[in-house]
Amino acid sequence: MTMPIQDQALSLTVNDVPVGPIPVPRGTSMQEFLHEWLGLTGARMGCGQGICNACTVMVEEDGKVPREMRTCITGAHWFEGRRVRTVEGHACEEADGSLTLSPVQTAFVEAFAFQCGYCTPGFVTAATVLVERLKAAPVPRDAVEAVVTEALDHHICRCTGYVRYHTAVRDLVLATPGLVTA
Amino acid sequence: MTDAPSPTLSRRNFLGGSAAAGIAIKVSFLRGTARAGLVEGATRPGPAWIAGGKPRTRLDAVAKVTGAKTFTRDYRARDLAGWPDRQAHAFLIAATKADRRFEDLDLSRLGEALRPDRIVRHEDLVADGLGVPPHPDFFGDRFLVPRGETPRLLGQPVAILIYHDYPRYAAAKRRLRFSDDVVRYGEATAYAPPPHYGATRWVRVAGEAPEDEDRFSPFRDAPIFTGFTGDQPAWPAAGTEGASARGMAAAEAIAAEIAGAGADALVVRRAFVSQSADASAMEPDNGNVWYDAANGTLHLMMATQAPHAVAETAAALVKGSRFPVTEVDLKAGYTVGYGTKDHHIHPLLCVLAGLYGEGRPVRLANDRFEQFQNGLKRHSFRMDTTLLVDRATGRFRAMTGAYVCDGGGRPNYSMSVSFVGATAAQSIYYLPKSDFQAVALASRAVDAGSTRGYGTLQTMSATEMLVDEAAELLGMDAIALRQANVFRTGQRNSQGAVPAGALRNDEILARAAAHPLWRERQARKAAYEAAHPGRRYGVGFAQVQKDYGTGAEAALASLEIDPRGGLTLAHVAHEMGPGVTTSQAVMVGEILGAVPERTEFGVVRWPQMPLETADQPYTTSQADEDRLAQNPRWTPRFTSPMSATNSAYYLGHATRTAARFLRDHALWPAARSLWSRGPGGGALASYHTMRPEELRLADGTVSGAGLPPLPLARVAAEAHRLGLPVGVTLHTFNRWQWTEGLFDLPGDGRTRLPIDALALRYGAGAPPERQALMDTAGWHFVERAAVFYPPTQRNNVGTTYYSPMATLAEVAVDTGSGAVTILSHHAILECGRQVVPALVSGQVQGGLAMGIGHALKEFLPLYEDGPGDGTWNWNRYELPRARDVAVWNQTVEILPPLSETDPPKGIAEVVMIAVVPALANAVAHAIGHRFHTLPIRAENIREVLA
Repeated sequence: MTMPIQDQALSLTVNDVPVGPIPVPRGTSMQEFLHEWLGLTGARMGCGQGICNACTVMVEEDGKVPREMRTCITGAHWFEGRRVRTVEGHACEEADGSLTLSPVQTAFVEAFAFQCGYCTPGFVTAATVLVERLKAAPVPRDAVEAVVTEALDHHICRCTGYVRYHTAVRDLVLATPGLVTA
Repeated sequence: MTDAPSPTLSRRNFLGGSAAAGIAIKVSFLRGTARAGLVEGATRPGPAWIAGGKPRTRLDAVAKVTGAKTFTRDYRARDLAGWPDRQAHAFLIAATKADRRFEDLDLSRLGEALRPDRIVRHEDLVADGLGVPPHPDFFGDRFLVPRGETPRLLGQPVAILIYHDYPRYAAAKRRLRFSDDVVRYGEATAYAPPPHYGATRWVRVAGEAPEDEDRFSPFRDAPIFTGFTGDQPAWPAAGTEGASARGMAAAEAIAAEIAGAGADALVVRRAFVSQSADASAMEPDNGNVWYDAANGTLHLMMATQAPHAVAETAAALVKGSRFPVTEVDLKAGYTVGYGTKDHHIHPLLCVLAGLYGEGRPVRLANDRFEQFQNGLKRHSFRMDTTLLVDRATGRFRAMTGAYVCDGGGRPNYSMSVSFVGATAAQSIYYLPKSDFQAVALASRAVDAGSTRGYGTLQTMSATEMLVDEAAELLGMDAIALRQANVFRTGQRNSQGAVPAGALRNDEILARAAAHPLWRERQARKAAYEAAHPGRRYGVGFAQVQKDYGTGAEAALASLEIDPRGGLTLAHVAHEMGPGVTTSQAVMVGEILGAVPERTEFGVVRWPQMPLETADQPYTTSQADEDRLAQNPRWTPRFTSPMSATNSAYYLGHATRTAARFLRDHALWPAARSLWSRGPGGGALASYHTMRPEELRLADGTVSGAGLPPLPLARVAAEAHRLGLPVGVTLHTFNRWQWTEGLFDLPGDGRTRLPIDALALRYGAGAPPERQALMDTAGWHFVERAAVFYPPTQRNNVGTTYYSPMATLAEVAVDTGSGAVTILSHHAILECGRQVVPALVSGQVQGGLAMGIGHALKEFLPLYEDGPGDGTWNWNRYELPRARDVAVWNQTVEILPPLSETDPPKGIAEVVMIAVVPALANAVAHAIGHRFHTLPIRAENIREVLA
């Protein structure tokens, strides 16, 4: 009754770096692939059921707003040929070796948005997707709080009670030109 | 009747002493320096993390926000220097029945291709000298279920399956998940939990006048300990001889007064239930263990809040086994546990897996189903409470309570959780008479242990619901009744001890009473319900005070200043999430006017502090302690776990004392030296009466009393030139009171300090005889001339350090669905002096969310349908999300400190408690029904409204 483990080659782009082809067993989740094959552990295992969203990454497509994907319930091979950005790929390395954080990362850091930080990668991903979405389709200023909650509500945080994540994103959206309409 | 446990009274009280003499223990902390594979970049904060003494970010912020490897779970063998690259993986097979004998495993589902590389069973452990866990009175008497025996608890593992590669491990785990034919059971039996864990009784009868001695109290006399007859505690007989008999007589007198209460009194008897819950820390339990047989080293990478204890216990486990070990080398990353990673059996299961790795590092990492199945739970409590109230005055005459917690199938901390809960049951009230029983039962449930609140969430919530109902029965305003009974400064708690410092519960009550949510609640209710047909509106209030610390808090800190004025802080504290590393650095800045340039947290090797301890701070007699303390290197305890809300106050005491020492013994004399330079004694000559308290250190400058400001660097250089102590390492110990020591300081003479051990490093200008003193790892270990440990009787205190918090909650209840919507909430906290306000408010907001989950959502059945069956996850166990916590409609009010010298208080636990009964009271206001069982979920409300 045992099926041998069957490998299937996988090629994709992760944080602008081409990866593969790598033989990966069929049925391997993207989360497992990131953790065990690539050593990228930022997309964290929370529930394995797509409930907590600690594991999300962005799928980037030309001309489109990036999508947020749950890696714990999505097979690695679904990402074949696609471009993925994990939390490790949001900051830029400068010539002097220092890191320049993304606007969302900066907002979270300055707002003391997280404590343990286990859920932070998912919130970085969701908030970045929201910002990109608002660049394409701004919302009225008085709708921002509702839009932020809608964008982040599927992410579970156990330490800080969500307030600082949400207010950080709200303030970033309000302060970033082009994301809100009058 | 079973034997009573030994009368030790600590909150977290055993695991003392090394049972593994001859095995060296080494613990270190990884600090996120490993880089994720596809990203090259530093994750340390730049110098801009703090400005003007105010931190702009957490010290660990950049590492965490960039997804760097920070958690123990993030590391694999290849990430750990010196480890083999090949990583093996393991998982547990668990029993899901506790009423039949375990017969065998059936792994036929796996076939040949997925057969484990190693299966470890109880019988293997026995053969190899590992059959019984160390400290079986804490971890239970077996790791794995023996063949032919009935599991002690649901979810107890029967085997460890080890794979040398990930793909087969992952495939096998998927194949076996939820399969009910893997564990084969035999005949039905009775349940087989361990004996019940213990029972204590805390009786107090006040004297005639408030200043009089108590007639009986645990502090003055003793708590009462007993064993069990069946499932009932077998309390001793009342009498006149001996503390227990007199205590029982006092308890009987209280019961008689309640039974005989006349029409002038209100007697409210209510039974409450608080559910079993899972803390749901986002990082599940995990560890990675490599047994290097060639070198006799056991390498551990472990997610734990108590790394030293894990290392010690691992050494005790392997001692005498067939696995020779000469060194345990434990590494820990950041973790989070809300107490559940304080002491737990999971790290020991990781060690077992590693021992059978045949030279390979083995990783045992729970997924969420497994975390529900074997992670420590919050205790379920049954609570029978009675309140006796004078109708005319509203004053409480007496309160009694029987607090029975279900500890599940391993002892863990159940005993201490039970009595910490019971001794907190008085909440914010002064009780002239009280009788609180604490009973810790064993059962087949998944084991419960240390969890944020530590029993007090359950008991204080019950009290706050009880008092709210009493107010309704008396026809009184619920806050007014609280004000009539509020616990005031100088009064004794239910153990007979006087709490530390000012109690400010009355201030909080006054603010709450004046808040619009409370003042206008009836008008708002009428208006809301008129505008929202089918919805009922309610406002609820509750206030609690939570102790912090364990009664044996020990810490080490080291602070040095270099000739440029650069500071280096080293500390035993390590990061659990609340920001301890940030706040300790800020504390230095508050005192010295400059934050450390270099920090090292989680430091465990202190060669300059050659201290000796048996780590028995709770059980050493006064006579023995007096004798032991004659040894200037002896201390009751070396360090404490990162738990019990101990960072701001207790660990901060070490930091603050070190900073003050450098100020007083290095910077002050060095500044005076500089100000004295020049003709006629310089600028200081006419100001020579300048007092130390006039010194000002701010923004890297030393000034005060009209003297010319000096750059800190110049003062530091002068301290080095003068050979002053420019480095200080100290050890602190608190037993509900700080230890003090006398030290003969070169140049300064005998000095009294709030520490029990001291080491100094002198500047380069020190004379040769002073330089020669630095013979202990480059430091001068200053043997104390005398030490004053708090008396061991203070072990009976229970607690003296409290933080209070109140919550007003505004809810709407949908009468059709039963759903409770939190419209807003307002919290009022007193936390002494805030170190980093952003961290404080973050703690409050997070605690409120967790409390909301406990009040309205989170629920686990204890037994057969509960988490031990391996099918629980967050799809069934509903956690609060942003929409559930009124994320845009919550406010926090923090009392200003009484003075700028108020110490910071520990708040990590209190912040989640008051909202629980506040919500229950709000639902009662909304629908007119008082629930006594938590959580209050939509289906419960629908039943009531049907």
